[in-house]
This record gives sequence, structure tokens and C-alpha cells, in this order.
Amino acid sequence: MSEMQGVLVIGGGIAGMQASLDLADQGFTVYLVERNPSIGGRMAQLDKTFPTLDCASCIMTPKMVDVGRHPNIKMLIYSEITKISRAGKKFKVKVLRKPRYVDETKCIGCGICAQHCPIEIPNEFDEGLGLRKAVYVPFPQAVPLIYTIDKDNCIECGLCEKVCGAEAVDPNQEPEEVELEVGAIIVATGYNLFDSRKKEEYGYGIYDNVITGLELERLLSASGPTGGHVLRPSDGKIPKKVAFLQCVGSRDEKVGNQYCSRVCCMYATKEAELVKEHVPGTETTIFYMDIRAFGKGYEEFYIRAEKEFGIKYVKGRVAEILEDTASKNLLIRAENIESGELIEEEVDMVILCAGLVPALTDEMRKILPLPIDDYGFITTAHPKIDPVSTSLKGVFTAGVAEGPKDIPDTVAQASAAAMKASIVAKG
Amino acid sequence: MPKEEEPRIGVYICHCGINIAATVDVEEVAKYAEKLPNVVVAKHYVYVCSSPGQSMIKDDIEEHKLNRVIVASCSPTMHEPTFRKVVAEAGLNPYLFEMANIREQCSWVHPKEPQKATEKAKDLIKMAVAKSRLLERLQVKEAGVTLRALIIGAGISGMRSALDLADRGFEVHLIEKAPSIGGRMAQLDELYPTSEYALDVLKPIMDAVTSHPKIKLFTNSELEALDGFIGNFKAKIRVKPRYVTNECNACGKCETVCPIEVSNDFDFGLSKRKAVYLPFTVAMPRTYVIDYENCNKCGKCIEVCERGAIDLKEKPMKMEVDVGTIIVATGHDLYEPPKGEYGYKVYDNIITMPQLERLLDENGPTQGQLQFKGSTPKSVVFISCVGSRQEPGIYQPIEKDQQLNRYCSRVCCTATFQNVLSIKKKYPDTRIYYLYRDIRSFGKGHEEYYRKASESGVLFLKYKPEVPPVVSSDQKGLLVTVEDILTNNETIAIPADLVVLNVGMIPRNDASDIQTKLRISRGADGFFQEAHAKLRPLETPLDGIYLAGTTQGPKDITESTIMGSAAAAKAAIPLARGKVEVEPTVASVNEDICKGCGRCEEVCEYGAIKVEETGPFDRVPMLVAKVTEAQCKGCGSCSVVCPNGAITMRHFTKEQIKAMVRAATGG
Ligand SMILES: Cc1cc2nc3c(=O)[nH]c(=O)nc-3n(C[C@H](O)[C@H](O)[C@H](O)COP(=O)(O)OP(=O)(O)OC[C@H]3O[C@@H](n4cnc5c(N)ncnc54)[C@H](O)[C@@H]3O)c2cc1C
Ligand SMILES: Cc1cc2nc3c(=O)[nH]c(=O)nc-3n(C[C@H](O)[C@H](O)[C@H](O)COP(=O)(O)OP(=O)(O)OC[C@H]3O[C@@H](n4cnc5c(N)ncnc54)[C@H](O)[C@@H]3O)c2cc1C
Repeated sequence: MSEMQGVLVIGGGIAGMQASLDLADQGFTVYLVERNPSIGGRMAQLDKTFPTLDCASCIMTPKMVDVGRHPNIKMLIYSEITKISRAGKKFKVKVLRKPRYVDETKCIGCGICAQHCPIEIPNEFDEGLGLRKAVYVPFPQAVPLIYTIDKDNCIECGLCEKVCGAEAVDPNQEPEEVELEVGAIIVATGYNLFDSRKKEEYGYGIYDNVITGLELERLLSASGPTGGHVLRPSDGKIPKKVAFLQCVGSRDEKVGNQYCSRVCCMYATKEAELVKEHVPGTETTIFYMDIRAFGKGYEEFYIRAEKEFGIKYVKGRVAEILEDTASKNLLIRAENIESGELIEEEVDMVILCAGLVPALTDEMRKILPLPIDDYGFITTAHPKIDPVSTSLKGVFTAGVAEGPKDIPDTVAQASAAAMKASIVAKG
Repeated sequence: MPKEEEPRIGVYICHCGINIAATVDVEEVAKYAEKLPNVVVAKHYVYVCSSPGQSMIKDDIEEHKLNRVIVASCSPTMHEPTFRKVVAEAGLNPYLFEMANIREQCSWVHPKEPQKATEKAKDLIKMAVAKSRLLERLQVKEAGVTLRALIIGAGISGMRSALDLADRGFEVHLIEKAPSIGGRMAQLDELYPTSEYALDVLKPIMDAVTSHPKIKLFTNSELEALDGFIGNFKAKIRVKPRYVTNECNACGKCETVCPIEVSNDFDFGLSKRKAVYLPFTVAMPRTYVIDYENCNKCGKCIEVCERGAIDLKEKPMKMEVDVGTIIVATGHDLYEPPKGEYGYKVYDNIITMPQLERLLDENGPTQGQLQFKGSTPKSVVFISCVGSRQEPGIYQPIEKDQQLNRYCSRVCCTATFQNVLSIKKKYPDTRIYYLYRDIRSFGKGHEEYYRKASESGVLFLKYKPEVPPVVSSDQKGLLVTVEDILTNNETIAIPADLVVLNVGMIPRNDASDIQTKLRISRGADGFFQEAHAKLRPLETPLDGIYLAGTTQGPKDITESTIMGSAAAAKAAIPLARGKVEVEPTVASVNEDICKGCGRCEEVCEYGAIKVEETGPFDRVPMLVAKVTEAQCKGCGSCSVVCPNGAITMRHFTKEQIKAMVRAATGG
């Protein structure tokens, strides 16, 4: 038997983590490269997950810990790929470890530095709704639990260095380049949210009380910026009427995205349920084109939302949203296709169920020329019978990087990519 | 450590940053813990799980000669493995470690009552100390693994699993109940969203499966029984007789002379086949098979067969194979509408979509001509969600005890668009109507396909489940009446030459057989149930048994293929490691007390405890319960029902639990 080769996994969301675990459990050495300070990806930002309403971090944290302590997984976190070249059947990979300005081997994650840091800036993990310090961990369950100094915002006051009992702060840390040799690569770079500003008629970024579904997840989360209270950004009041708009940036040729984002119907349904659970009596309406409750247990979840939770579903696309400048309430103009009526409804808050767009960047594609479709999702070798291989030999893909999908489908595809990579890397 | 050795306990209270320390007064708790019986040291630390925290424990074990360790922190699901490893590295048996959960069960749930939370944390630690004093050392055992996988079902998903495992280097036994591999995909015409012909896509995969040196294929075969546990299963397989031997070269002469004609299931009754037949054009293996029940044993086929390949006396064969892991890929059945549902089987010219696939197939009963009862329809109506999304209270069942399928079948919408495009390609003038509830073309490239179908001129009408379309018939033919939401609930009557019912997927009618043999469970929808809806979609609750394809729920070919590879990844893990670890925290039977009543065996969901004969003592065989440790999950059900108290759960013994209760209640 020839020697087992290592595998590079790019992206530490649920897809990258699952692929890493399946390979590492088989005995392969896995290099997991994540550009953010922690693994976890988007799932870490979610409050609860449809259709079981499992709390996302409760089911995800043990998985993150498993990845973190697996003897066969070498984590290269807060790192970026700078070069990939072929060497025979193998790949030579250069990874840049960005300086955290905190010594990974010394930091114990106690958080005393952050307590003393005087700088506060919007926290990306909370979609900008909460604040974090210039020295920070993105969220308390981060893996690895190591603080990072955000040099762009740091004023170099030196307080963190003074208070750190572990003497872990190192303002002079340099970027470090690591070279790897691997037999296979899995690309699991996931997604970003569609930029709702492009739908000008909905006023996102202009009207305070128009937010995205991902922002709502942070508001719903007990460990989020509002401690789990859904409050209007304009005045901190609890909204009594909330409207959800489906297909924002999906199934929309005007913005150039014809595809369906596959998760929004269900996440809107879930979020509407959670909003009602937090404040019973809240009126919730979902404006939709088609309800796509296709996964296991999804139809049942949707029916329950409508029948038991009294969530109102209106078939119709919203034409525009106007703001009442005094109350900051929002006026929704839409057509109810079922009744043929024009609707004008005033609500306290609007949630834009923005679609998923690929996070794969042009820079990454210069390093690895992955084939993509019109929207930037990675194309596979055959859409039916080879749905995780790419046309680049030895390179596989999983998760939303390949196309929008929910967590179970992401996890299954990640295991499938791990299988394909194991066949190539077994030597 | 001799049993009588005095316990020396170290207690470590974690701040978990501020997660615990902001609510619980950790210093006070540490002072309290120090005074508990047998506690030698008690410390608090900001993150006990961090590497300095771990070193602190190791140093203390050495310095204070600790023989028990307790960490009071988070839920054991997170860090119990971490700390077990820590104490093991310091030379202690890992099962002498105990955890008290003062985060999820204390600080997180009582953030507004710090005083009471502190008292509760003390109690939880007091209980842990009481248990810790009685802890026993346990050994993790290892079992070997048979380096072979068993795959049940050779549809697209099972074939994918087989090929991947074989390419990875493992031996595979693939058993298929039908006379040919291929599954339901072989019955399809063109596939969405590429419009490729199904057999063109399928055949190379079937060929690869048949010729792979590491795959042993058994068609016409079934699992008879299964025994054992992960890494060490024993499967009994029954190979049904084909009555045609390998000598067959599929020349087809037998078929021509066979006088018997029966309805052909492969074409859903749209054609007839002989009693000796080849399942379909590219069937694999390419060997005829005799339908023994319908055969009249006239012997004509024997006469014409030049190779002497027909053997009506062939007997079933039984084999037993050892396998390490198992993948269930037994697929789905199709909903058969009860007579009268949308006029099915009442009026002519009403077919199901799988039947339509057969009619459109060039290798089908009409050579691809859309001909039904002799004429080509000019107007075709598709009705969606037949047998799917049947909501109790809304859907009006036709039959009294009809099982309602509440789920969406996931493939029908986009499959309709494929069929619309196929019909339009062959017969551009056909008028096509799609009566639907929601368009669910969610997959990659599906929305674009939806647009292509719309552009081809199909008319969409949306109906409410409360007011489903009605199919009736007058002298001119079929009439489908629908209240169309898209035109403000106008009632529209469509004359139709052909009505196609988009029937959904249902669990196989023989699923309960596999269920009982493998002891895996099914969900409310009847499909096999995965271990966790979100994060373990491939695993069953039984270690070593995994799911692939539509056996777990409706899926298309892409998704079935993904799941096939994914299940292979899971099945490969124990095979690649070559060993499995057997947890010692399981049931154990005191054979002196056990009366062999068998109550334990009845309640065990995992088949891990069985009453067996032992002895004979004084020539009288005795019955006692025996535990297969590798199969036991340590759930404790057996221990609860045992009328004689003969079953102990290791690491959760009655004494240990009583001690904890006494500690909690101050007794
Ligand atoms: C509002 C909302 C609610 C949702 N709710 C649910 C739900 O309830 N249930 C459900 O099943 N699904 C839900 N989803 C979908 C779910 O979020 C996705 O299925 C899942 O997160 C996809 O995981 P992933 O690993 O593919 O991608 P991601 O989570 O995006 O992970 C990708 C990772 O790769 C990293 N990365 C990207 N580029 C690079 C690079 N060049 N180098 C290194 N690292 C890189 C990223 O930083 C990230 O960590 C929801 C989605 C949204 C938007
Ligand atoms: C009308 C229609 C049109 C479709 N069109 C498309 C399309 O265009 N594109 C697409 O992607 N998908 C399409 N599909 C879906 C596609 O048919 C399924 O995704 C696919 O067939 C599922 O494969 P499978 O391996 O899970 O199951 P199956 O194909 O059902 O295979 C299961 C196999 O297991 C065997 N088996 C069962 N029980 C046992 C047992 N106890 N022991 C041994 N063997 C057993 C069976 O005989 C069978 O061979 C369509 C479905 C329908 C109904």
C-alpha cells in the first residue's frame, strides 16, 4: 500500500468541518484553512434551525470541539491560501497565517484583554448589530478560543498587553507562510448574503427597521446583541407587526439571480415562529412566490406554522416599501395574487429574506481556477452523477460553495466530498 | 489501585470566561468543595479546558496523589472526552473522572439569581463528589473489524456507495432484490435538468459495478437475517433461483417461444412480458430470468435454448457473510392512487407520471410515441402533488384507512418540466396544462428549467388544496375543472385527452422487513429515520449501519448520488481504522441473580441483551441474560425492567446514583 496523502479543506463552515472529520476519522491528515478567526461559518450565526428548532450552537459546538481536538486535523485558522501548484499527482499549497498579534500557544482565551480594550466597533458576527472590542473572539464558543487584535481598529494603547497574565499579546507578530503538500483539495467556501441594497425599492440601509433574515437570527439569539429580544433598530421597541419578504435577490432576473436560494422559505417560517414565541401575539406575514418546503419534515413544519402559529402567508411580490418618517413604521405595497387585491399594510418591522450568493472570490479563482456557473457557484463534473467532483482533477466541492442548500444537504455533500477525496488521497 | 484505597479527589471549578463566573461565586464554591469528604484540593480557574488548565490538573494528580478528578463546568457532551484524556495522560483510569454541569444546568438557566445558583452549584458538586468516591476503573475494549461492507439495494445510490467503497480499496458485497441492478432510474426517460437519456447515464455505472474486481454482486437476492455489531456483522443472504444459468447469452429465443404473457411491472402495466424475460433492455446481469409463479413449466424455452442455460430445478442458495459496515439503499415505491382519485382507474386516459416516462421512452412499450389507447393526445393536463402534501383535515381521502403522506416528494415539479419539454419536442402542438400548488424547482439549474418549460408554452394554473381539481368525463372526453388562483379563482374547465397524475414517492411496501432485520427505525412518514435531522443525515441510531438515497426520504438522482458517496464515507471509517472501540459504560448482568425471564431482551432496542442457555449445572440448563457489549448503548432500559435487580449499568450503578440522591437531599 502506498502512503496516504494529506487533504486540504478550504473553509471551516459546517461543510468544511464535516469533510475534515470524515477524512480525519479515516486516518488522513487534514489541513483545514479558514480565513476568519474561528471555524463555524454561517451556521454559528444562526439561532435555531428548522425544522427541529435545535439550537444551532448547541448542536454545532461539540462538532467544532471535535474538529479542534482531532489529532489528524491541523487547523490553519485566520489564514489564507496564497498559492496552489500541481506537483505530479500532488498539490503544493502555500498558506499565509495572518498575524493575530496574540501568541496562539500562550493565549488561554480568558478575555481579560477584551475587558480592558477601550475600542468598540460593530461586530461582524452580529451582522454589525452589536459591538466588539479591537481585541476579540467573534463569539464565546469560538474554536480555537484565541483572541485576535484587529489592527485596523487598534489604537495601540498597550492596555491589553499590560493586563494579559499569560503574556500572550505580541504586537510585533509577523505573518507566517506555511507550505503543505496534499493529494486532494475540498473547496467549501460557503456563502454571503445577497446585498439587499440592490433592491432599492425595499429601502434596506435607508430605513432603520428593514433588516435581513441573518440580522434577525442575531436578534433572536440569546447570546446576541439584544440578549434574544427582537427590538426595532430605530427605537428599541418590540415590534407588534412583522413582515417577511421572500426571494430578495433570488428568482429575480432584475438582479441577475434566476436561481432559488433553497433555504429562505424555511428560514422565514422558522424566524416568524420564533418571533411569535418570543412575543406571543406578534402579527407575522410572509410574502412569497411559492412555498418551497421540500425537505424532510419541512412541509409538516410549514403547515404547523400556518395552522398552529397563525403565521399569515400571502402569495405576492412586494412592489415597494415606504417609511413613515415620524414613526419609522413601514408601508408595504404588494399585490395579493390569490385575491387579486392590492395591499397596503403598515408594519413595525420588515425582514428581507435575502438569498445566498457565493463567497468564492476572484482572487481564490486565480489561485485555483475553479469552474463556476453564471452566478459564481462552483460547477461540478456532472450535475447528476458526479455532483462533488470539479473538472480539476483531485479538487472537490461541498456545501453552499456549490449551490444554495440547507444544513442536512450540506453535511451530506461534505461527507460525499470527503469520500471522493479519500479515494484520490489514499495513494 | 486496590479497591479499599481511600479516594483522594481533586475538584476544579471552571469560570468558563464569564459564562459561569458572572453568576456563580466560584471562589465560594471552591472553598465549599474543599471541605467535602475525600476532597484533597479544590481550585477555580478561568478555563479549565485550556492547556494551562489541563496542566494544572496533571500537576495536581502528581503532587497530591489524586486518584479521582472532578471538573465542574459545562455539559459532559462537550468536554468529558477532553478531561478523560487529561487524567489518562497523568496515569489515572479515565473512568475515575467525573463531571458536574454547572453551566447549562446552573449558570445559564439562573442568570438572575446568583445566590441560589451558587448554592445549586455547590449541590451539584456535592453530588459529583458522592458519586466519585464510588467510581470504578473501567477498560475500553477494542474489537476487530471485518474489512468488507454490505450494501443492500443496487439503485443509483447503492451503486454509488459500492463503487466508492470499492475504489477506496474495500471489498463490497452488493445485494439486489430484483433480477437486475439499476433501480427506478432505469424506468425514467430523460432526466432534468440536462435532458440526458436516463439509460445513457445509468449504463456506464451499471457496467462499472458489474466489472469492479472488489464488488461481489448478488442479484435476485435478499437479506435473510443479521446478527452482530459494528465491525462484526454476520449477514445471512438468500439468493433466489433465476432458473436461467450464467450460460445465458440473452439471445432471446426463449422469450419468443414462451406462451405466457403477464402484465409488465417495469412498464407499470403498460405492456406485457413473457414468463421468461429480460427485465429491461440494458439489464445487468444480461441474463434472462423465469417468473416461476407464472411459468406453466411447458418446457418450450428449454427446447430452444442452444446453450442449455435453463434449469427449472434451480434451488435457492443461502450464504453467510461477515461484514464490517452496512449501507441501506433500498429506495422507494411510487404512490398508487386509489381508484377514483382524480378519476384514476375510473376513466380511461388517466395515467401516472412514471407511466408517462415509460411512454416517452424510446425503449418503452410505445417506442417513445406518446400514444395512449391508440391515439396521440392533443391536450395533456398534469396534476401535481398526487399522494404528496396530503394534509389531514384538508385532503379528502378516497379510502377509509388511507395512509396520508404529508411530505413533499421533492422531484415531481421539476420532473414535470422535463416531461413537458419532452412532449413539446416530439409534439410541438400539444396543449399542456400544469395544475399545481407551489412550484418547487429549488435545485441547481431547476429554476432555469422551469423557465424553459414556461417558454415552451405550458399553461400554469394554481389550485388550493381545499379545492382540488375535479376530473370528469363527457361524451367528448375528459374534462378537468380547476379553480385557478392566478386568475382570481376563476373556475376553468379544460378538455383533456390525457391526464397525468404526478404521484409522489412512498416508503417501500417491504420496508418493515428490513426494519425488523436491521433494527433501524422509521419516521412518521414511513421512511428510514436518520440519527439526527440536521447533523447526522446518513447515520442510523445503530453504529455501523448507514442510509443512502430515497430510502431515507424523497430525493432526486443528484441527491441520491451525493448520499451514496456520503454513506460510503461513513462506512469507510471503521474499515479504514480496522478496529472499533467498545465503550465500557454498558449493562452487565449478575448471572447469580438473573432468572432468565427475558424482560430485558424485550425492551432492548439495540438487540444487545439476549437470554441464553448456560450451564448445564446438575444437568439442568439455566437461562441467563447476556450482554453483547459492543451493541449496548448503556441506555439502562434493561436495568429498569429487571425484576430481580440483576442488571447493573457500569459507571451509573445503583449505589452511585443512590449516593448522589442522598447528597442532593442532604441525607
Ligand atoms: C438567515 C439564514 C437562516 C438559515 N437557517 C437555517 C436553518 O434553520 N436550517 C438549515 O438547515 N439551514 C439554514 N440556513 C442555511 C445554512 O446557513 C447553510 O446551509 C450552511 O451554513 C452552509 O454551510 P457551508 O459550510 O457550506 O458555508 P458557510 O457557513 O458559509 O461556511 C464557509 C466557511 O468558509 C470560509 N471561507 C470562505 N472563503 C474562504 C477562503 N477563501 N479561505 C478560507 N476560508 C474561507 C468562511 O469564512 C466560512 O467560515 C440558513 C441560512 C440563512 C442565511
Ligand atoms: C416520475 C419520476 C421522474 C423522475 N425524474 C427524475 C429526473 O428527471 N431527474 C432526477 O434526478 N430524478 C428523477 N426522479 C427521481 C429518481 O427516480 C430517484 O431519485 C432515484 O431513482 C432514487 O434512487 P435510489 O437508489 O434511492 O432508489 P431506487 O431507484 O428505488 O433503488 C433501490 C434499489 O434497491 C432494491 N431493493 C429494495 N429493497 C431491497 C431489499 N430488501 N433487498 C435488496 N434490494 C432491495 C430495489 O430493487 C432497487 O433496485 C424521478 C422520479 C419519478 C417518480
